Amino acid sequence: MAGSRLEKLGSVFTRTRDLLRSRVLAEAQKPLWFDVYAAFPPLREPVYREPRQRYGKVKDVIPPILYQEDEIRATFYEAYGNGPKAFELSRLNFKSTCQRFVEKFNELQKEGKIEPEKLFEETGKQLLAEGIILRRKGTANVAQQTRQEVKTRDIVLEMNLQTMLEERQEQKQDQEEEHLESTDMMKENPLS
Amino acid sequence: MAAARLLQAVVPRFRCLGSLGKAAPSTSQLSSRLYGTLLAPEANQQMDPTVINDKLITEPLRHPDFFNVKELFSLKELFDARVHLGHKKGCRHGFMEPYIFGCRLDQDIIDLDQTMKHLQLALNFTAHVAYRKGIILFISRNRQFGHLVEVTARDCGEYAHTRYWQGGLLTNAHIQYGTGIRLPDLLIFISTLNNVFEPHVAIRDAAKMNIPTVGVVDTNCNPSIITYPIPGNDDSPQAVELYCRLFKMTITRAKNKRKQMEVLYGLQNKADSS
Repeated sequence: MAGSRLEKLGSVFTRTRDLLRSRVLAEAQKPLWFDVYAAFPPLREPVYREPRQRYGKVKDVIPPILYQEDEIRATFYEAYGNGPKAFELSRLNFKSTCQRFVEKFNELQKEGKIEPEKLFEETGKQLLAEGIILRRKGTANVAQQTRQEVKTRDIVLEMNLQTMLEERQEQKQDQEEEHLESTDMMKENPLS
Repeated sequence: MAAARLLQAVVPRFRCLGSLGKAAPSTSQLSSRLYGTLLAPEANQQMDPTVINDKLITEPLRHPDFFNVKELFSLKELFDARVHLGHKKGCRHGFMEPYIFGCRLDQDIIDLDQTMKHLQLALNFTAHVAYRKGIILFISRNRQFGHLVEVTARDCGEYAHTRYWQGGLLTNAHIQYGTGIRLPDLLIFISTLNNVFEPHVAIRDAAKMNIPTVGVVDTNCNPSIITYPIPGNDDSPQAVELYCRLFKMTITRAKNKRKQMEVLYGLQNKADSS
């Protein structure tokens, strides 16, 4: 059976149609799918396109998906880290702590009784009242971290070559004394 | 004669029996009307088998959705199966940009409205090819779903190839398998990439051998040569299970419909000959 193996030159349909038209392929040899494609063509003709290499700045045509609640979510994650409850992705109607926080925030905002600067703390307090404990990211460990940082900095500052050499000499002296003691012990033992 | 009169009294239909004894030429027609054929006038018109064959094959093409594939899936089903989740922004293929809805924190989200249209066209095409007794070959080089694809193909009564693709499988078939080999009439790609994240060789080979292809294209795939692309996720198990289920249902539906139609027209054929 005749065919056209030029996959970069028009679609499968155009090539088969032209083969039939030029009578290279007989009517009896018409492929099964030809009439189906003619009746229901795809949305885009499947013609080969060379994938272009993009040089320099690539324009991002696709818009980022952002919601108004994203601002609230960003402040939540900055303050509280990942949140106490892990995400359960297998459930489709799962509500995370962040989502509950966002909903509470919106409710309070709608009511309008609280000032906008205090809204964040208020929602935290209300969630505490409902039973969700939110630990602020870094507040518990901040003091320890500063202390550790101070210590390490002091050690680094204090590390001079001189002091290091002195310490090494002291260590060597200690080792020699131990060695002398052990040899003395050895001498004493065979005598006794 | 007395018996005949008795019968006439009881069942007025048998009045013509009285005329049987006279043996007039018209009686044979009357008797044939009594114990006659079920399909009377129509059967006589369609004598030509070629006409029936044309009706059998060309009739379905006139309906926009002969096999009613639209009812097999819904937007919510696609969403729940995570079909809309694409790869990260850096993996994006340039030609997939028209099918992408947006980018959420660097992850591409595929436009499910477009996917619905493409999926409907693709399923309709596979149904028609299966109706016309075409050979369908499922291809997926994703090792996670190799078994699932093979099982799906076996349940449909079609074929699958989920292993290493030898170079001349389609292009050199007549030498590798003999002269009378019949190539598949449709290739269905559950994943268009191979293990090295390059387009599967079968896409190019099918285009060379003038075989149409249906394929699920993710955001890192090239949809140019695929005849009926379906933009969607090809990595999540739920999404792949959904595709396999949809293809299996369409192909079995199309084959059953074909049997039905054959029986319908076959009866009329038999009526003609009798």
